[in-house]
Amino acid sequence: MDFLANLSMGFSVALTPFNLLMATAGVIVGILIGALPGIGPPSGVALLLPLTFGMEPTSGIIMLAALYAGTMYGGTITSVLINTPGESASVVTCLDGYQMALQGRAGPALGIAAIGSFIAGTFGVVLLMLVSPLLAKWSLSFGPRETFAIMLLGLTTVTLLAGESALKGYISMMLGLMLAMVGFDIISGDARYALGIPEMMDGMDFLPAAIGLFGLGEVLTGAEMVAGTAILKANYGLRDVMPSAKDWARSRWAIARGTVLGFLVGLLPGAGPTVASFLSYTVEKKVSRHPQEFGKGAIEGVAGPESANNSAATGAMVPMLTLGIPGSATTAIMLGGLMMWGLRPGPLLFEKNPEFVWGLIASQYIANVMLLVLSTAFIPLFVRALRVPYTILMPLIIVFCITGAYSLKNSVWDVGQMLVFGVLGYAMKKLDYSPAALVLALVLGPLAERALRQSLIISDAGMGIFFLRPISAVLMVAALLAIAVPVARALAARRQ
Amino acid sequence: MSVRKADRIAGAALLAGSVAFSAGALKYYTYSGPGGPGPAFVPFWLGVIMALLATMLLVGAWRSKDPGAQWLPQGDGLRRLGVVLGVTVAFVVLLKFVGMILGTALFLVVLMRLLDRTAWPLALSVAAATAGLNYLVFTYWLKVPFPVSVFGI
Repeated sequence: MDFLANLSMGFSVALTPFNLLMATAGVIVGILIGALPGIGPPSGVALLLPLTFGMEPTSGIIMLAALYAGTMYGGTITSVLINTPGESASVVTCLDGYQMALQGRAGPALGIAAIGSFIAGTFGVVLLMLVSPLLAKWSLSFGPRETFAIMLLGLTTVTLLAGESALKGYISMMLGLMLAMVGFDIISGDARYALGIPEMMDGMDFLPAAIGLFGLGEVLTGAEMVAGTAILKANYGLRDVMPSAKDWARSRWAIARGTVLGFLVGLLPGAGPTVASFLSYTVEKKVSRHPQEFGKGAIEGVAGPESANNSAATGAMVPMLTLGIPGSATTAIMLGGLMMWGLRPGPLLFEKNPEFVWGLIASQYIANVMLLVLSTAFIPLFVRALRVPYTILMPLIIVFCITGAYSLKNSVWDVGQMLVFGVLGYAMKKLDYSPAALVLALVLGPLAERALRQSLIISDAGMGIFFLRPISAVLMVAALLAIAVPVARALAARRQ
Repeated sequence: MSVRKADRIAGAALLAGSVAFSAGALKYYTYSGPGGPGPAFVPFWLGVIMALLATMLLVGAWRSKDPGAQWLPQGDGLRRLGVVLGVTVAFVVLLKFVGMILGTALFLVVLMRLLDRTAWPLALSVAAATAGLNYLVFTYWLKVPFPVSVFGI
C-alpha cells in the first residue's frame, strides 16, 4: 500500500501545471538536442542545469530526466534521415535505419523507434519504481568501505568502456580525481592546491567543467567541419510513420528483448544507453531468422537498439538515485545537479525526499507519453530544425555555455574555467581521451576520498578492510577485474 | 601535429605534473596523523599512479613507429577553429566591459559574419532574438546579475 500511496503522491507532484510544462519542455528540447549534431545528452543536461536553479529541485529533475529521454529519440531522426547519429546511442541505428530511409521507409523506421522507445521507456520506469526502493533499503547497510568499493567500480567500468584506448581512459579518470583534490579538504580543512587563489579554495566546480568539456568541446570539434548535410526527403504524416502489421510482427520481440537488456545494462555503472544499443543489435542479429538482412534495412535492427537505449537511460537512474553512483556522463551531471540543489543522492533520498523521488518516477510515465505523441505527430517540425545551418547553431551553443557557466555563481572565473575545459575537451576528443571519465571522477572524487579515508581510519590504515565483508569484497574484485581486463587484452595483442 | 607527437608532449607534461603533485602533497600537507590518513594521503598516491600511467603513455609513444594521423585541422578547418576560439576568448575577456546581453549580440553577429558571411539581416535578427531571450530567462526570470556595459545593458 505504501507503494501505491507513494506513486499517487508522485503523480500529484508531477501533474502540477508547472511540472507538466517542464516535462514537455524537457522532451521537446531533448529531441532537438538529440537530433542536432555537435551536441549530445551530457552537454544538453549541462547546458540546461543552470536554468533549474530558479526552480524547485523536483521541477528541475523532471525537466532534465525528460530531456534525457528525449535525446535518446532525437538522435534517431538524424541516424535515419542523414546517416549521422545525433548522439552516440543512435550510432547503431544508422546501419538499418538509413537503409530503410533509402528504400522509402523512413516513416516506419522513425515510427517503430518511437513506439519501441515508448514501450521500453514505460517498462523501464515500472522497473525503476520496483527496483529502486528495494536497492535503496538494501544499500542503507552500506558503510564507507562498500561506498568506496562501489565508487571505484563505477570509475573503473566507465573508464573501461570510455573509448578505444584504455590507457587514455585511465589517464582521463586520474586527471579528474587530481582536479577533485583542489580546494578545502573535507576532513582537515586544508586548502589544497589552491595556489592562493580564493576562487580555487572552493574547489573545481563540476558544472563549468562539464559545460566546457561537453558543450564547448563539441562545438570546437564541429567548428572544423564545413560541409552541410543532405536530408532525405520522406513523408512523415501519422499514417506514414505507423508500422505495418508485418513490421510490428517482426519488431515486437526485438522491442521486448531490447527493453529488458537495456534496463539491465543501464543498471551497471559505466555501461549506459550506447553500450545497450550495440548489445541489442548484436543480440537481434544473432536470434534473427534472416540475419543477412541486417545492415540492409531490417526493422528489428532499429526497433531493438532504440528500445534498449531508452530503457538503459531509465535504468541508469537507479544507481544514481539509490547509491549516488552515476552510470554515465549524463547521470554524473544530473548527480552534480542533485548536490547543487542541496539533496544528498543515495539511499536516504527515498526516506528524506519522497516527493522528489516519486515525483520524478511519475513524471517519467508522463514524459514517455509526451515523447510518443511528439515523436510521431511532430516529426516534420524536428526535421525542419535540422536545416538550421551549423554556423548559426554553433555560436548559439557557445552563448548557452557562457551564460550557463556564469549563472552558477555569477562569476567570470567560472566562465574562464569553462573555456579552459572547452579547449581541453576538444584536445581530449581529438586524441581519444575520455571527457566522460574525467567528469565522473570530478564528481565522485571528493566522495570516494572521504569513504576511503573513513575506511582506513576504521581499519587503522589496513587495506584489507575492503575484503573483509562480502559486498565490498565482490565490488573490489569486480573493480580490479575492470582494471585487469584491458591490461590482459594489451598483453595478448602484443604477443600476437 | 601528429597524434604520436601529441602523446609524447602529453606524456611528458603529465609525468612532470604528477611528480610535482605528489611532491607538493608531501611538502605542504600531512600524510598521516593519529587520526588516520591526512590530506596528503590520497593526492600523493594519485600522483604516483598518474606518473606510472604517464610513463606508459610516453614509452608507448616513443617506441611507436606509426606517427598517427594529424590531430589538428589544416587549411579552412584551422581557420574556422581559430575564429571560433579567438572570438569566444575575446568575448570572455571583454565580458565585464561589454556586458552579457550586449556582448551576446555582438558575439553572435561577429561570429556568424566571420564564419559564413551570414546575411546581415539574418545575423542581426538571430543576435537580437538571442540577447532578448537571454535577458528574459536569466536577468528577468532567474534574476542572475549579469555584468552590464557602459550603456547599462
